Amino acid sequence: MIESTTIDGAEERALSDDGGRAVLPNDSGFAAGPDGVRLAFDVYGAGDPTLVLMPSAPIIHSRQWKGQVPYLSRRYRVLTYDGRGNGRSDRPTDPASYHDDRFVDDLETVMDATGTDRAVLVGLCGDGVWRAIRLAAAKPDRVLGIVAFAVGVPRIAPAQPHYVASSKVFDDVLPTSEGWAKHNRHHWRRDYADFAQFFFSEITSEPHSTKAIEDAVGWALDGSVDAMLADADAELPFDLEGIEGICRSVQCPMLLVHGSEDTCQSPARAHRLAELTGAPLVIVEGADHMIPGRHPVKANLLIRDFVESLGGRSR
Amino acid sequence: MGSGGGRMDTVRLRERLAGSASDAGSPAADGQTRARYPDEDGFVERDGVSVYWERYGDGQPAILLLPTWSIIHSRFWKAQIPYLARHFRVVTFDGRGNGRSDRPAVTAAYADTEFVADGLAVLDATGTDRAIVVGLSMGGGYALRLAAEHAERVLGAVFIGPSLPMGIRWPDRETYPFDAELDTDAGWARYNAFVWRRDWHGFAEFFIDQVFSEPHSTKPIEDGVGWADETDGETMVIAETAPYLVVSDGGADLRGKAATLALAARVTAPCLVVHGTNDRITPVGVGRALAAALGCPFVQLDGSGHGPDMRDPVKVNLLIRDFVRQVERGTR
Repeated sequence: MIESTTIDGAEERALSDDGGRAVLPNDSGFAAGPDGVRLAFDVYGAGDPTLVLMPSAPIIHSRQWKGQVPYLSRRYRVLTYDGRGNGRSDRPTDPASYHDDRFVDDLETVMDATGTDRAVLVGLCGDGVWRAIRLAAAKPDRVLGIVAFAVGVPRIAPAQPHYVASSKVFDDVLPTSEGWAKHNRHHWRRDYADFAQFFFSEITSEPHSTKAIEDAVGWALDGSVDAMLADADAELPFDLEGIEGICRSVQCPMLLVHGSEDTCQSPARAHRLAELTGAPLVIVEGADHMIPGRHPVKANLLIRDFVESLGGRSR
Repeated sequence: MGSGGGRMDTVRLRERLAGSASDAGSPAADGQTRARYPDEDGFVERDGVSVYWERYGDGQPAILLLPTWSIIHSRFWKAQIPYLARHFRVVTFDGRGNGRSDRPAVTAAYADTEFVADGLAVLDATGTDRAIVVGLSMGGGYALRLAAEHAERVLGAVFIGPSLPMGIRWPDRETYPFDAELDTDAGWARYNAFVWRRDWHGFAEFFIDQVFSEPHSTKPIEDGVGWADETDGETMVIAETAPYLVVSDGGADLRGKAATLALAARVTAPCLVVHGTNDRITPVGVGRALAAALGCPFVQLDGSGHGPDMRDPVKVNLLIRDFVRQVERGTR
């Protein structure tokens, strides 16, 4: 059992844009998984099937789906939770707590706590998409389908060059903090807000994105640098062959959605996952990384059409 | 592989969406697609000046979305038209001086009475006996005169951020003369004939930026400046000195606040005034004073600027919808 470090009063923490919601949850609570880390979840709506909107944690929390929850919960039961390390959930600071398996455990923990036997999983980037794929591969009975935005499956195609370069010197003290040099352990410690502003501006490069950027930066600052560093220090326990094998083994329907201008995850990863799974791929021309936040109507209709295409046959 | 219906080709979403939109109607000159295209459009001509109008939907009653200052044209109602047209007949037109309407080179052609007469001609051309009139900014003046002097055509009036001479103005707008060449073009000094002729686009950027004082307004600002670019400084200089809300009272002409109050006193139709508290063009006190003069409800939009139609479209749409329904039921 890994000891969790709970920030006092985390449950009462006021999140950055917690005012004025279009829809309120009809059930909220905390679930603790095998390692005792408590996860804050919310359930909206009562339709069928259940959709789990996966967290991109620890960098942001469940409000990342604010553009989806009101629409989708009119039709379906929608489950969101703050991933470990942000929001109202616990924030352990040891890298072992951010092992890939823990995030998959968390998904099952929250599904169990809410009486969700099976669900459609909707994820963004690596934190959302890859963990959804892992559960679908390990527990096919629990996953009806996956909608993967900004396909973030590691290793299956090269990372964006700015990540490759900055990751090599992530632990180094750099002579500059300009541009992607902000993606650096020491700069995070020095000025995490500066990194967050830079990062979300870079990956939300469409015109007229000031609100989407402001929201995401707020959610990042709701989190914890210690959690981010612990997550960064967690090793990914799979090589390319292992990852591709897991992707190939997924049996449920999938829909892949990727922006043609994605600064965070290369479109090559989306094309490669489409090859590995046979899943259809929608390229949103002109879109960058944060498709659900920046293009909510498109995202919502794609999710709805995908869920309807399941036809209830596997519910 | 279980992927719904088997292997599909990659879909390029924007091309598909753009294709279906252009099938449904013709894209606007600015290349933007519309959520809804007019069911009917045309031109009316008065005194050789051609004015372009559009009609959307045919539910009852009719709503006439009036033009405003000719710095922009009827697309400023883009967030109202698709919603309101689902419930009501919506008629709008480009104010003379911008859009697809003519740009007469005579100052008198831009008097508020001409915009009002254009509105009546458009109602005639669309077979619309009576309508709820909705005016934004200077369009509030057109709505006021329509309601006061053509009561038989007006079921009700909605005033949004009305710009009326009520003796309430921002102090920094009083500082500079319009017709004199200035040694500065800082701030409101740009509200000046020489600046407009020299750099209309630069003025438009300044002014539209003032209109949308809320955070996250980059898109309405881009739209507004784009519409301003469809007219020109010379046209706007010609229009600037046209009479606005001058009322003849026996032998004498009433102007300013006296004219506004005289018109308001004649209005019998139900009215609603909506005004943003962060309006940097026309202080919220103007809207409040108009509501008091009309004896009608006043809705204050906290934090809103001068363009709540674009910046708070859902609020504005629901306010208009509720008002129209109350007028229909005779409860207002």
